[in-house]
Amino acid sequence: MAVPGLGTGGPGVCSQAPGSPAIHTMELSKRYRHTLALAGLSMTVARGEVFGFLGPNGAGKTTAVKLLLGLARPTGGEAMVLGAPAGDRETRRQIGYLPELFRFQSWLTAREVLVLHCRLTRLPRQRWASAADHALELVGLSARGGDKVGTFSKGMQQRLGLGVALLGEPALVMLDEPTSALDPVGRHQVRVIIRELRDRGTTVFLNTHLLEEAEHVCDRVTIISKGRSVATGTLSELKVRRPSVRLRVTGLPGGWWRSLAAFGRCTADGDWLLVDQMADGRVPELVTAVVALGGQVEAVIPEQQSLEESFLTLLEDT
Amino acid sequence: MNAVMTIASLTVREAVRRRLVAAFALISVALVSLSGWGFYKLSHGTGFTSGETNLALPQAVVLFMFMFSFLVALSASAIASLAVSAEIDSGVLQTVVARPVRRSDVLLGKWLGLVALLAAYTAIVCALQTAVVYWASGFVAPDPAAAAAFVFAEGVVLLTFVLLLSTRLSALAAGVIGVSLFGIAWLAGVAGSLGTAFHIRGMHTASEISQYLLPTDGLWRGAMYYLEPPSFVTQQLAQAPAAGGDPFLTLAAPAWQYLTWAGIWLLLVLVLGLVSFARREL
Repeated sequence: MAVPGLGTGGPGVCSQAPGSPAIHTMELSKRYRHTLALAGLSMTVARGEVFGFLGPNGAGKTTAVKLLLGLARPTGGEAMVLGAPAGDRETRRQIGYLPELFRFQSWLTAREVLVLHCRLTRLPRQRWASAADHALELVGLSARGGDKVGTFSKGMQQRLGLGVALLGEPALVMLDEPTSALDPVGRHQVRVIIRELRDRGTTVFLNTHLLEEAEHVCDRVTIISKGRSVATGTLSELKVRRPSVRLRVTGLPGGWWRSLAAFGRCTADGDWLLVDQMADGRVPELVTAVVALGGQVEAVIPEQQSLEESFLTLLEDT
Repeated sequence: MNAVMTIASLTVREAVRRRLVAAFALISVALVSLSGWGFYKLSHGTGFTSGETNLALPQAVVLFMFMFSFLVALSASAIASLAVSAEIDSGVLQTVVARPVRRSDVLLGKWLGLVALLAAYTAIVCALQTAVVYWASGFVAPDPAAAAAFVFAEGVVLLTFVLLLSTRLSALAAGVIGVSLFGIAWLAGVAGSLGTAFHIRGMHTASEISQYLLPTDGLWRGAMYYLEPPSFVTQQLAQAPAAGGDPFLTLAAPAWQYLTWAGIWLLLVLVLGLVSFARREL
C-alpha cells in the first residue's frame, strides 16, 4: 500500500449530535436462541479516538459490530452511534465498515466496486472517479483497479475492503479484523492508515484479537469476554495492574529470598531477579535492601505486564 | 428510488457479466431454430391432410410454449434463489446493506432487475417464435402478445415467490421448493381438467384452490387460451366431448377476478419478501 495522505477535508458530514460520543452502549445484549452472544455490553467510545475492541474468538465482538451497524437487532439494552440509534440509515452515511468476511462482487472490477459504494453512500457523482482512485491509491491497488475482484488474492480483497470502508471520509470507521489476510508489510501499512485517520479526527473502532495490533495503534481498548466488557482503559492503564521489576544482581548471599520476600514474589533466573506483584513506589527500597544484603545491582528494569499477560489474566478472572 | 435503480442495474449487469444473458440467447436461438425446422416439416409434410395440419399446428405451438414456460419458470427460480441467500452466505450483501440504503430498496432493486431480464427473455423468444412459425407454416396464434404476457406473468409470480423464500432459506432450498410447487400447481391444474371432464367435483375444487394458492397454472391457462384458435377448440370438443379434460386445451380466458387476485397475490408476496428481508438478521 502506498499510504498517501488521507486528505485534509476533515471528517465527513457529521451533523448529528456532534457533542455525543462516537459510540455509546448500555447493557447491550444479543441472544441467538440458546446462545447468549452479548451479555450486557456497556462502553463509550469518544470521537476521534482509535478504540480497540479485544477479545478471544467467540467473545461477541462481531456480534457487537453487527448490532452497532443495524445488521442485527439487539435483544436487550441500547446503542447509540454518532448520536443516533444504532442502525439509523442516515447515520450510516458517516460510517465506513470493513466486515470480517470481506467479499465483493467478483464479476466487478475493483474500481467498479468502489464506484458502486460511492453511489450507495450518495456521494456526488462528480466525486466518484476521484474518490475511487484515491481509495485505490490509499490501499495500494492503483495498478489493479481495472481487474476483476474475482482475480484478487484474499489479501488484495481485504485491501479493497479497507478502501471501500474509507470512501467519502467517514466520521467513524469500523474495522472488523482488518489485517487477518495481510502479510507483515500490509499490516504495517494498515497501522499507518489508522494513525492517519486518527490525525484527521476520524474515530476508528478496531475489532481484533491481535493484541500486537491494538498495542500499536489504539488509544484505549476494551476487553470483552463471554459477551461482556471485563476491562476498559488506555493500554498503560491495563498493563500496570500488577507491576513488577527485573534486577540484574550479582553477589547475593544464600537465603537472600527470605529477606526480599516482603517486596513481592521473587524468582531468580541466572543473574536476573524478578520481583513480581510489587506495591507502587517500593523499587528504591528494594534496591537498598539488595545492596544491604551484599548484592551488586547492575541493572534495574521496571516491568509492566504485556498486554497479552493482562489480557490472559483478565480472561482467567472471568 | 436511486438505490433501487442502482441495485436493479447491478443485477442486470451481473447477468450480463456472468454470461447468463449469453446462455439465454444461445438457448433461445437453439429453441426457435429447432422449432422452426419442426414447424416447417409439419406444414410441408406429405403424410397429413390440410385438416390434420390445421389441428396439429396450434397443438405444437402450445407444446412449444409449455416447454418454454417451464424454462422460464426454471430460470426464474434459479436466478431468484441465488439473488439473496447466496449473497448473504458469501458476505457480499452485508457491505451493501451497511450503506445508507433501505433493505427494501435492495430487494426491490434485485426484483426489478430480474423482472426486466425475464421480460426481455420472454419478449424476444416469443417474438422470434411467432415469426418463425409464421415463416415456416403461415400459422399465427390468435393473440401471441397476450400469450407471451401470460407466460411472463407466470415467470414473475414464481420469481417473486422464490425471492421471498430466498430471504429466509438457502439458495438450494428456495430453488427446489419453488420448482416443486410450480410442478405441483401444474399437476393440480391437470387434475382439475380431468375433474371437469369426468365430473369429479373434488378434483375440480382442489385444482381451483391450488390456482389461488400459487397462480402459475392459472396464468399458464391464460397463455394457452390466446394460442388456440376458437375453431380449433370447437373442433377438438366436437371430436371428443371429454377433450375438456385435455391439459393442453383451455375453454375460456381467465376471469378478470382471477387476474385481479393474481395481481394482489403478487403484491402480497413481494411485500412479504420486503418485510422478511428487512427483519432478517445478517
